[in-house]
This record gives sequence, structure tokens and C-alpha cells, in this order.
Amino acid sequence: MITIKEKFQQLKKEDKKAFVAYVPYGFPSVRHTKDILLTLQGSGVDIVELGIPFSDPVSDGPVIQEATSIALKNGANTKNLFVTLNKIKKDIKVPLALMTYYNPVFRFGIDNFFKSMNKAGVSGILTVDLPIDEASEYIKKAKKHKIETIFFVTPVTPLDRAKKIIKASGGFVYYISVTGTTGVREISYEALASHIGQLKKNTTLPVCVGFGVHTKEQFASICKFSDGAIVGSAIVKFIKENHKKRNFLDELKKYVKSLKPN
Amino acid sequence: MPLPNKKGYFGAFGGKFMPETLFPCLHELDSFYDKARKDNAFKKEFQFYLKNYAGRPTILYFAKNLSKHLGMKIYLKREDLLHTGAHKINNSLGQALLAHSMGKKRIIAETGAGQHGVSAATVARLFNLKCDVYMGEEDIARQRMNVFRMKILGANVIAVKSGSKTLKDACNEAMRDWVTNVRNTYYLIGSTFGPHPYPMIVRDFQSVIGKEARAQILREKNRLPHFLLACVGGGSNSMGLFAPFFKDRKVKFIGVEAGGMNKNLNSASISYGAVGVLHGAKTYVLQDRFGQVKATHSIAAGLDYPGVGPEHSFYKNSKRSEYVAVKDKEALEGFKMLSELEGIIPALESAHAIYYLKKLAKRARNALVVVCLSGRGDKDLEIVQQCTDDHR
Repeated sequence: MITIKEKFQQLKKEDKKAFVAYVPYGFPSVRHTKDILLTLQGSGVDIVELGIPFSDPVSDGPVIQEATSIALKNGANTKNLFVTLNKIKKDIKVPLALMTYYNPVFRFGIDNFFKSMNKAGVSGILTVDLPIDEASEYIKKAKKHKIETIFFVTPVTPLDRAKKIIKASGGFVYYISVTGTTGVREISYEALASHIGQLKKNTTLPVCVGFGVHTKEQFASICKFSDGAIVGSAIVKFIKENHKKRNFLDELKKYVKSLKPN
Repeated sequence: MPLPNKKGYFGAFGGKFMPETLFPCLHELDSFYDKARKDNAFKKEFQFYLKNYAGRPTILYFAKNLSKHLGMKIYLKREDLLHTGAHKINNSLGQALLAHSMGKKRIIAETGAGQHGVSAATVARLFNLKCDVYMGEEDIARQRMNVFRMKILGANVIAVKSGSKTLKDACNEAMRDWVTNVRNTYYLIGSTFGPHPYPMIVRDFQSVIGKEARAQILREKNRLPHFLLACVGGGSNSMGLFAPFFKDRKVKFIGVEAGGMNKNLNSASISYGAVGVLHGAKTYVLQDRFGQVKATHSIAAGLDYPGVGPEHSFYKNSKRSEYVAVKDKEALEGFKMLSELEGIIPALESAHAIYYLKKLAKRARNALVVVCLSGRGDKDLEIVQQCTDDHR
């Protein structure tokens, strides 16, 4: 498996933008995760963000809240997450990042968590409720285990703070398109383009946009001024509505492909 | 009160574990509050409303019959006599003044028992702010009168249907609203939890309880009490009472948590939890071994919360305070005991602290004790009636 950094180098050479997909681990059940990851990989997804379900997801909208709560009910936890990942790592070629809230990582033990990630071949981590100010220990330990730490910049982040966030980041910088929770919505490109333009003047790291992205058109518009976009809730909703169908994985592949401009 | 440090830590507890979007507004709040706490005009205005609107100072009442019954000298700090019926109004007045000075036109609040929701709705009328209150569906069902009060006061009560449908989920939903409407909305947190600077702000506004009690007991007995006793959910009435006595090392603090049904189903975060991160702070949290927050239970909706203010976690680990758990049934006994002996009907939250007097009496005969009677029991009459009927 390659790292996120390497993936972006590869994409740059091919003059391509990153298609990042988010799915929660263990949704609809733990045994679905392998098939879903392989399907995403086979559908042109460049990087997969695998969400760790948490009981109190304050940054998530209704779709991901529901999915992660189902995953928890069906027994998803950090222990069987790593068991699953270790089993499938030889088949996964796209870089993986774990998207999580801090408490499950803290409870696992930060050092131990990164060690397990490294062993399972996971390149990056995004911790929604861990701002840089609380992350010095986390960053140090991530470096030790060669984990890329992805942090967030938002529409209300002042530039001097954004610079500090960039400094702490590895892999890419996650730009949150709007103030709000995850979920499908319309995005206004003008302000977004100018913010990201400013951000890119201050970093060589790729900048990807997430929250709200759910169509091919949005994806294309966002990629005019960024290095990629993240689709989450739309895919999660599709999985929720279709996973019981016999040809679910084919349908998922078709759907995911339809989100990416050629 | 030297704590917290600049990063918002009380020893190893506290901090700002929040989504990045909320950072600028926490920073803004921090700097506004820093100015306000040193500003005489702000302090004067706060004092004015505490006195003329909330009805401070509250009396420190010597509970003669209860004292005789238990063999101690028991004083009740009567926060139940405040406008709206609980200590929550102290904090709501202070934060509404802050929100007002920050130019925010809308406040949001979370509520469990509805007492904080009512006090937020009240100050919203007083200062002409729009007010939305998040409340778990289960709490709406068990605290109907407070829901009605909030509605009369013009607040919009939003039912929270996610998770356990109690205070924790109301907090989650309030935070989602805040992260979305961060530019124009002030989150009026009701207890000493949340990201820095909230635990400090709420403690400071509530510390009027302890400051008054300290002066009152010195005036009356010419000495400090042996014990301070208060119930702990998020921890605001207890921290309000304890903090001004922090340096009086001989005064022992006892925080009474909600022991619920048993060791597996309760809201006693310090007694039965482990250190974790919830709603912005590192603190004791009721959680499983994978870091998932557990479902909680207490007969007192206001204590039904899986976390606790970080300063309490600090008090616990530094042994400044002791924490004990009192079960639902015992709280009901406390409720009955105070009603029958003193003619004072306590809130079920406060009844936890009242009951613990009975246990304390066994190891501290004749001790001088100040108990925070954080709220009145009117809101709980239906619940108590149900429990009494069940026993028949």
C-alpha cells in the first residue's frame, strides 16, 4: 500500500485530482467492510477515509449519525477494526485514512493505536475533535509510527491559524466547505475558491474539500481550485438504501463512478 | 481561583477538544470573558441582576429538625429560593450578559431536567434574545412542566431523538447547531463542562453560591464548616459552592453523584467512569473499553449525564474532594426526609446530597455541614408520585 503523499505525487504526474471517498467502518456490518473497500478501490477512488463509529458524533449530520450508530449496534469497535484491516491489507492498494473522534483513539492508547495502524497498512488519520492545540503528543507519536496527520481548515479559520494547521499536517489539508455538520448540501464556490487560493499560497500540501460534496458537477467545480474532493454522506446514503440488493456491489460501483468526472 | 491554566487545564483535565470550526468563537469568548471579568461595569451589572432579578443573596438556613434527626449541624444553602427555582439562573444571567456584550442575538442551550432550559429562556426574554433549547425526548416526557414553562417564555424547545434521548444527546445536538450557526449564535452552556473557557466561566458565575455561604457561616458560627456537600451531574452547583473554599484546606468537600439503579446503570462518572474526552473536555467519562460513551440513568434528569466538569476530575485526582454515589431509591428517601422534617421539597438532584447526610452522620457526628440545596422539587412531583404509586 502506498502513502497518501505518494498517491498525490502520482496524481500530480498524471495531472489528476483526488477522489476521496468516506465510508464508516462496520456499516451496515463488519463483514461488509472488506467488500465495500474493494469496490471503492475498483471504482476509481484514489483515497478511502474509513470512519470509526463513535457514540457521540457532534460533527456529523443525520446520515452518518445513523450509519455509525448501526455500525456500533452491529458490534464495530477498534479491536475488530484492526483485525479486519490486517486481514484485507494485501488486497488494498489505495491509501487508507482513518476518520475518527478522539475518545476511541485516546482509550485505545495513542501510541498503540498508531502502531496498530502502521501494522495494518493505514497511512493517515483525521481526528475531528482534536485541534492542533491539543495534538502535540499525538503528532509526535504519529511521526514515530509514520502516520500522516490530516487536520482541518474551515471557512472561519483565520490565516495565521491556518498556517499553524498546515505545519502540523501530513498527507493533505482537509478544507471543510461550510460551517456545519457532514451532509449533502449546495456549496457556494466563489468564497471557497478564494479561501483555498489563499491557503495554497501558503503550502505545498494538497488541499481537498469535504462536507456537502455529492455530485459530479460539484466535484468538477471544486477541483478547479483544489487538489481533490471528499464524498461521504452521499455514498453512505447509497449504501444504506441499496445494501440488501443482490447486485449491491455492482450498483455501488456504478454509483461511485457516476460521482467522478472523466 | 488560579485554575485553569491558559490552555484551559485543571491539572490533567479540561482543554478544548472541539471541531476546528468552533475555534475562532471559543477564542472570541475567551477574550471577551477575560475583559468582562476585570471590567467593573460588567461585574456591577451582573451583581445588579443577581440581586434584583434572581433574588440574591439566598439564605443559609439552619435545618434544625434535620440536624436533630441526624445528629449534625446542617445548614442549607437555599438556591431553590432563586427566581426560576434553581441555581441555574446565576450562570444564565452572567452568560446572557456576555452574549449581549458580544452582540449575539441568538442563544442556544441544552437541558436535562429543564432547569437550565428555563433559566436560559428566562434570560432570553430579559435581554431580548432568540432562544432555542435542545432537550432529549425522554427528558421532555419526564419534565413536562418545565417544557411548558420554556414555551410560555417564548423559547423554542427542540426534541432530540438521537442516542439515549437525554442530556448528553441534547449537548450533541446543541453543538451541531453551534458548529452550523457559529457566526451569530451564542451557546449558553448550563454546567461546568464543555471546552475551555466554559468550565471556568460557569464556575465563576456560580461561585457566588460559595462566596455567600462562606461569609454567612462565618457570620453565624464564627468558623468554617467541616464539610461541604452538593450533588454532581455536570457539576455547576457543587463547583459553585466548593471553589471559594478551595484554599480552606480543613473544609472537606463531598460531591454526590447519581448512583442510578446499580453499578452498571447510573450517571456517576467519577465513581464508575474512566478518563476520556467528551463534549470538549478531558475528564471522567462513563464509557466502555473501546471508548464508546455508555447509556446512563438517573431518576434526576439533571444528573443524567455520562461526563463531569473537568475541575471535578482534578479535585478527584488531587484528593481535594471526595465523590460518592447515591442511588435513585436513596435519593427518594432524601426527598421525603427533607420534605417531612423541614417542610422543604427539594429537587431530586439535590435530594441525592440530602440523602448522603444520613451516611455522613455515621462517621461525622456533630459535624458542621453546609449543603447546597440546588433546586426546588416542584418539577419532580409527577416522578415522585409515580415512584410512590409503584411501591404500593
